[in-house]
Amino acid sequence: MESFAFDRPNTNLTRREVLAAAAAASLAAGAPRIASAAPSGQLTYGVHVALTPNWLDPAETQGIITPFMVLYALHDAMVKPMPGKAEAPCLAESWTAAADGLTYDFVIRKEAKFHNGEPVTAEDVKFSYERYRGTSHDLMKGNLASIETPDPQHVRFKLKKPWPDFLNFYSNASGAGWIVPKKYVEKVGDEGFKQAPIGAGPYKFVSFTPGVELVLEAFEGYWRKPPSVKRLVMKVIPDEATRLAALKHGEVDIAYSIRGELAEELVKTPGLALKPVVLQAPNWIYFPEQWDPKSPWHDLRVRQAANLAIDREGMSQALFLGYCKITNSIIPYTFDFYWQPPAAAYDPAKAKKLMAEAGFANGFDAGLLYCDSSYSNMAEIAVNNLGEIGIRAKLEPIERAGFFAGYASKKYTKGIIQGASGAFGNAATRLAAFVVKDGAFAYGSYPDIDALYPQQADELDHEKRASMLAKMQQLVHEKSIYAPIWQLGFLNGIGPRVGESGFGQIPGFAYTAPFEDLTIKS
Amino acid sequence: MKQFVMKRIGYCVLSLFLLSLTIFFFVRVTGDPATLLVEPGASPEDIAAIHHQFGLDRPLIVQYGLFMASVLTGDLGQSFYYRTPVTELYWSRLPNSVMLASAAMAFSLLIGIPSGILASVRVGRFWDNAGKVFALLGLSLPSFWVGLVMILVFSVYLGWLPSSGSGTPLHLIMPAFALGWYFAASHMRLTRSSMLEVLGSEYVKLARLKGLPQSLVIAKHAFKNALIPVLTLAGINFVIMISVAVVVETVFAWPGVGRLLYEGIAFRDFPVVQGTVLMLGAMTVVVNLVVDVLYAVIDPRIRLAS
Repeated sequence: MESFAFDRPNTNLTRREVLAAAAAASLAAGAPRIASAAPSGQLTYGVHVALTPNWLDPAETQGIITPFMVLYALHDAMVKPMPGKAEAPCLAESWTAAADGLTYDFVIRKEAKFHNGEPVTAEDVKFSYERYRGTSHDLMKGNLASIETPDPQHVRFKLKKPWPDFLNFYSNASGAGWIVPKKYVEKVGDEGFKQAPIGAGPYKFVSFTPGVELVLEAFEGYWRKPPSVKRLVMKVIPDEATRLAALKHGEVDIAYSIRGELAEELVKTPGLALKPVVLQAPNWIYFPEQWDPKSPWHDLRVRQAANLAIDREGMSQALFLGYCKITNSIIPYTFDFYWQPPAAAYDPAKAKKLMAEAGFANGFDAGLLYCDSSYSNMAEIAVNNLGEIGIRAKLEPIERAGFFAGYASKKYTKGIIQGASGAFGNAATRLAAFVVKDGAFAYGSYPDIDALYPQQADELDHEKRASMLAKMQQLVHEKSIYAPIWQLGFLNGIGPRVGESGFGQIPGFAYTAPFEDLTIKS
Repeated sequence: MKQFVMKRIGYCVLSLFLLSLTIFFFVRVTGDPATLLVEPGASPEDIAAIHHQFGLDRPLIVQYGLFMASVLTGDLGQSFYYRTPVTELYWSRLPNSVMLASAAMAFSLLIGIPSGILASVRVGRFWDNAGKVFALLGLSLPSFWVGLVMILVFSVYLGWLPSSGSGTPLHLIMPAFALGWYFAASHMRLTRSSMLEVLGSEYVKLARLKGLPQSLVIAKHAFKNALIPVLTLAGINFVIMISVAVVVETVFAWPGVGRLLYEGIAFRDFPVVQGTVLMLGAMTVVVNLVVDVLYAVIDPRIRLAS
């Protein structure tokens, strides 16, 4: 039976090392909290999206990153990404997984409490999982055989069949692992809970006006440590320029999403600081015609040439002040089973040579380059770059919802696609959607990659599975199925009062967290 | 009179029915809201679950029937994004929009009427030309640009006023100006032309012949009569202000109905867009009905002609 008190991927550890680490983690987790001064002061956020009551209830978690902006403050999870750990023990002090992959045992932290003072128990964990109805809930419920609660500190998940990604989905790709108080929810109902939520997070609910403002106050009984900032106010300011103005005027201390020329203005403003965060959202160029033998894209050299033609650094500098993370993979580097490819290169001369070798010395008409209109500035640069090596394309920006609907319905069979994804999961789930046969966004596939996919899905040994997934990613890279560009840089601003902002503490997370670590400068 | 009123009510009902049909089908042309509630790469099962949850997997005609059935009971549906009844969202935001529109209307009348009077008594001279420039700018400059410039000057550079939000009278000043300026221009133009018409009438000429000073002629005789069409327009404009404040409310993060509509559009929140447009349409239709009825009461020629 494997024991996990720290995250994967790891080196090959001996059983003794694992158990020793588990014991150390338990000791650290159970150690008394260091006494600290009472929380004081207030930090105000300028938030870029409308706050919705759904984000106050983990059961409604959608498959987007924005609800976690609030979840990390108000609630807590059994296991969740934390600084330095992709799967950090939180409300769960430790857990073990059976060798057959059918059982997961969790030990709940004794000092974990809800905001109403009630302890977090196994019944709450079971209840939270069973009431979950957000993203991937079919998968979570469908794979589960039963949840046992042998005592208040222990909960056991039994699966119908081995599911190697269970912990990934429980901790990362859904809200099922975020725990709410069963007695309270049953008393007030789901709607009542959204109006006055109680969680186990570092901040407790004070007031909420949908779409306008959320006010939270420090929960001094938080197991990890009491927050140092007493009050958090999240104000919705939809317009980016107004958000920056509010930051400059001192009305907000933290402003999310300040881009382009406004980000340049922020950098030049004394007292303000730009806080970029790399999101788990790679952007790429995709060649849907590569499976058509009559298409120029069928030739590997043409796809390689397109890869070499994209000036990623220049694009990042022009559009995001250079803060995007250039990547050569469609899998975010923070994902489990990520394989590190060779660095992306910009070499138009070599690209032209490859084009000539492929018989396209004079280039060819590539048709339309379809993109989400929000990122048409990026696509425009890509069109220009490709044009420099003779691949002539015309930009076709499409409003976001329409673009992704068309992308998923395999409408863009001719031309080029500029796509992206910030979906949760791991390398396997990303490959399933974008590479493997019958994937939601895969316009074709390769048999050697397809053959590996079911093998890794059934593999319980982490190392063997990692090896298979690495091989799949390597093949994706060698075949130049995609021309990955970058992982998006999400630019934010902070004001002079902010000490520790929480930006960048959790790799791939767009917002400030952990909230208990935020500080105000004295 | 009764027949006149019933006929007008019939037209109102027909207008609202056509509006509901239009907004219901047009909003669905914009795309699938489920794709905005999940990241690209989400499983088809997740998307199908959202369709089922929101009733989007039903035939369109069934969706419309259910929508109209609930509208008739006062229920505008449940917001996809907020998961809150649309009526609750609308009524919680409406007082803010009314407050903003009231302030904007007050500004537009305080600026528009005096400047219109001044322009009418100084025809072809400096104040008339200044009024024309003012009207041109007010009708031409986009309100979001005016708003952003005001934020830059009064919040960022001078630090006098808060840039966004609500809660104090200071928060109201800039959005009221940005919203009201366009209407001030139209009120100014109407006041000017209305005053010119009244100043050319026989009874005003008689007043002048009697030796009354110009100020008394304007204040006592001309102004009140010239004000009638302006106030009529102002009444209708008040409702329009609530409807068109989308951009101003978004720029200033003012928590009104306009911003709710913007959010509904941005998130493909069909019930919010349908409900908000229908409510705003209903307000416009009711105001027009009241104006029509009042006109018929005041002027019998109108009700007899109909």
